[in-house]
Amino acid sequence: MESTETILPPSLLAKLERLEFASRKIFRGQLKGERRSRRRGQSVEFDDFRTYVPGDDLRLIDWNLYARLDQLFLKLFQEEEDRHFYAIIDASQSMGFGDPTKLFVAKQLAASLGYVGLCRADRVCVQAMGQQGRKAPVLRNRSSLWRMLQYLEEVSLGQNESLAASIRDFSNRHTGSGIVVLISDLLDKEGFESALRMLVNRRMDIYVMHLLSAEERAPEIRGDCRLIDCEDQDFADITLNQYAIDKYLSNLSSFTESIKSFCARRSIVYVPVSTDMPIDEMVTTYLQMRGVVR
Amino acid sequence: MSWIGTLGPWAWGFVIIAIGIVALYFLKLRRDPIEVSSTYLWGKTIQDLHVNSLLQRMRRSLLLFLQLLMVALAAIAVFRPGIRDDVETQERVVFLLDCSASMQATDLEGGVSRFETAKQLIQGQIETLSDQQTAMLITFSDQAETVQAFTSDRSRLLTALNEVVVTNRTTDIMEAVRAADGLANPRRSSQVGDLNDVQVAEAQPAKMYIYSDGCFPPLSEFNLGNLSPQFVSVGSQQVSNLAITEFSAQRDIDASDRVQVYAKVVNFGTAYRESEVELRMNGELVDAALVSVDPNQEQGLAFELISDEFAVLTLELTAKDDLLIDNLAYAGLTPSKRASVLVVTEGNTALEVGLATEKIELICDVTFVNPDFLTTLDYQKLVIEGRYDLLVFDRCSPTAMPAASTFFIGALPPVDRVETVGFVGRSESEDDLPVAENETISSAREEAGAGVGAENTRIDANDVSTAALEAASGGVLDSNESGSQSWAWSGAVSSLSIIDVNRTHPLLRYLDLYSLLVFSGQPLDLPDNATELIAADIGTVMAIANRNSYQDVVLAFPVLDTDEAGEAVANTNWYAERSWPVFLFNLVRTIGNASESTAALSYRPGDLVRGTLAGLAEGFMVRSMSGRKVDVTLHDQVRYETLDTEELGCYDVTGEGELLERFAVNLFHRPESAIQAKVELELGYENIQAGNVELLVRREYWRLALLVLLIVLVAEWWIYNRRMV
Repeated sequence: MESTETILPPSLLAKLERLEFASRKIFRGQLKGERRSRRRGQSVEFDDFRTYVPGDDLRLIDWNLYARLDQLFLKLFQEEEDRHFYAIIDASQSMGFGDPTKLFVAKQLAASLGYVGLCRADRVCVQAMGQQGRKAPVLRNRSSLWRMLQYLEEVSLGQNESLAASIRDFSNRHTGSGIVVLISDLLDKEGFESALRMLVNRRMDIYVMHLLSAEERAPEIRGDCRLIDCEDQDFADITLNQYAIDKYLSNLSSFTESIKSFCARRSIVYVPVSTDMPIDEMVTTYLQMRGVVR
Repeated sequence: MSWIGTLGPWAWGFVIIAIGIVALYFLKLRRDPIEVSSTYLWGKTIQDLHVNSLLQRMRRSLLLFLQLLMVALAAIAVFRPGIRDDVETQERVVFLLDCSASMQATDLEGGVSRFETAKQLIQGQIETLSDQQTAMLITFSDQAETVQAFTSDRSRLLTALNEVVVTNRTTDIMEAVRAADGLANPRRSSQVGDLNDVQVAEAQPAKMYIYSDGCFPPLSEFNLGNLSPQFVSVGSQQVSNLAITEFSAQRDIDASDRVQVYAKVVNFGTAYRESEVELRMNGELVDAALVSVDPNQEQGLAFELISDEFAVLTLELTAKDDLLIDNLAYAGLTPSKRASVLVVTEGNTALEVGLATEKIELICDVTFVNPDFLTTLDYQKLVIEGRYDLLVFDRCSPTAMPAASTFFIGALPPVDRVETVGFVGRSESEDDLPVAENETISSAREEAGAGVGAENTRIDANDVSTAALEAASGGVLDSNESGSQSWAWSGAVSSLSIIDVNRTHPLLRYLDLYSLLVFSGQPLDLPDNATELIAADIGTVMAIANRNSYQDVVLAFPVLDTDEAGEAVANTNWYAERSWPVFLFNLVRTIGNASESTAALSYRPGDLVRGTLAGLAEGFMVRSMSGRKVDVTLHDQVRYETLDTEELGCYDVTGEGELLERFAVNLFHRPESAIQAKVELELGYENIQAGNVELLVRREYWRLALLVLLIVLVAEWWIYNRRMV
């Protein structure tokens, strides 16, 4: 099991504190937060005026204006409120491949983004799919980092639950809207479409981080072999020559293209992630470039 | 140019194996298990690959491509692809293969014998035959054998070819050519001139290949007709061969324990040769000499030994040359034995004096009897037992020929029961004749034999017998085979003068007979196998002929005659000449078995050997020098004959546990030892130049395919290892 420092290096924490989510949607929060809300509130930031209607809070009447215009106007201020951030980590057996493993990279990503949310006083929930996700804590403020990391450390390669079932379970338990980051390899034989469609229906701001290891992006195995699926023990007899590899890469390319196309049509941000990219560079440069954080 | 398919059952087996290898490659059950995150994408890949799996594998996998190439090359090699440059136009091909002793020569490159080389050449030619062609394989030495009749089955021809072995025999191509000729030039069914006779079969043109070194006498007077011959000369021009062409051992008449050995060594090679000659008696070295012979020269050798026992003498040339079979010669020695001579005469002083010389007394016992003796039972018994070695009939003739050699003076052997060596086959033919025809022949012969001056009758008799024999044997007899089988007079009694004497014959050796005066005599009509000894102006007056293992000598004029008063008068002055006792001595020594009793006769391999048993048929056995029991045919418990004389060496004839006699089998044939290969063959009326058979040999490509296969295998191994690293 990786150490806390390994999942989230201290050097990265300082960088993360300067970042925030570049969410395109503004959501109603439950508590006062650090981000502006579409709602008018009681912050110091002036937003607009409107005419008084009976029943309005008299404290909000702009008396100076009444003196000049002899009409009652209410002075409206911008509201600052918190935000819901969800990171869903695929912890199926297939995430155990790669060096470092896809699961470890997923944890790093989730922890990084979660810490960004904690620093912005968002409501952060970083959870694994399946049973392990049920005990995931809901966190707020940066002092909860330790709990988040502790939970992530406990996440291990677990049951092989389908993507759709896991998302359905997530949706049932988290009714609010917000930002959801799905970190997965999406290698589900039942398909990824129904799972993403479920999130879209919840009007969430969805980010799909598609994790692929180096060996999946460019297989090096050759010869006559029997490929055994680590999840369902299904096997495929194949003679791996350059032609077969080319065919596989072509299939992989069309697979990622289909995800990208699906996501583009549903305003989902698709972020392909390679496990061999350092987490530091990935979060501070790559995700910024992709418009996940800013 | 045409392609030839040569797939046999075994080749198909290889093809099936090759296909199995390919199938196993694609269905390869043993695969390395590798765990992957998901087979989701791989499954799609496999589906894509299944669409055109085989072709894609071949296109993309270099290793597989190389392996398939190897399998293909192996298959090609198994198919034995080959082309031939020259296609036979003749649909029928006859292969004549020389199996004679000279084909054992190893003068060709690599020490391979001529025989094996010829077999390989024939094998190459058989493989180039197309399915439409039929071929026949005939081997020949001193006799021909059709080892495979016409067939288009190449495997049968090859099997027959493989079973052929070389012999120690001499060469006579005549019979082999006749066998081939029988197909190409079918004869009419019976007599020529018969208008109703039609040709029984259609002439079949055939190509005749003669694989030989040409070491045999030219075959002339033979019409090849539809046969189109090609001579393939097997052997080289530069040869090395020292050969023993003569080897004999005889006991000295004066001292029977002294043995005189004579040998002749001839250099048939193309260069000067030297060699040691070792003489061994019963395997022990007793003498040696050095011979130095120029090409085509000969050198005589003489040794003297002391032995009075049975002995086997071996003479060996120690220097190795191209033909080893003639480097070794055998001779047998038997203890000296006195010959028994019976003279049937009414009284002949010349004979009495001539047979009473010291020399003759040393080698034989002579008994004189009256002609009346011929009618007694004793004579009949004598006929069966063969008690005497030589019978001399002076102006008389027995009713049946005795089991001994004979000398007739002024008389002819009886016509009945005349059987001579050369007439065995003919006698059998006669046995097959209808009784009426046999009687016709017998009566005709009697007339011919009895008639003095009845030349016309004799001719008629011959014609009758010839016609009858030809009819009985289906007309296959050649006209030159038909001839007289018995002794007869060919003219009236008249005075004569001698004009020629065959002094090379042992009987007349050292004799000067040109000064003889002969008052009257009759010319002889000889049997086919007879040899003329003395010719006079009126015809043959003395001749010798073989009869089984015996020899009959006939002198056509009496030495002494009786006048009208019954007084003996000389018909010739021979009895007063020095040559008379010498002739009698030669007679006793040569045909009276006096020499045979001391020196074993020598035969050539495969020769018919005949001998008498002298009543010792119990436990009779003939063994070769290697101890092999020889197949022998016994006749009437009196004489034996065998053709099983292929092996060189001395043969022991035993009966009742004791060694009766001994004979030797040696090559002793100059044409066989002269192994320089001929480049031209005189066959019939044509001279055939040795052709180049290389052009006809099948050109094989499977070796090339196999070589490429090995290169591909190495390349594949190298690529495989490079990938593994």
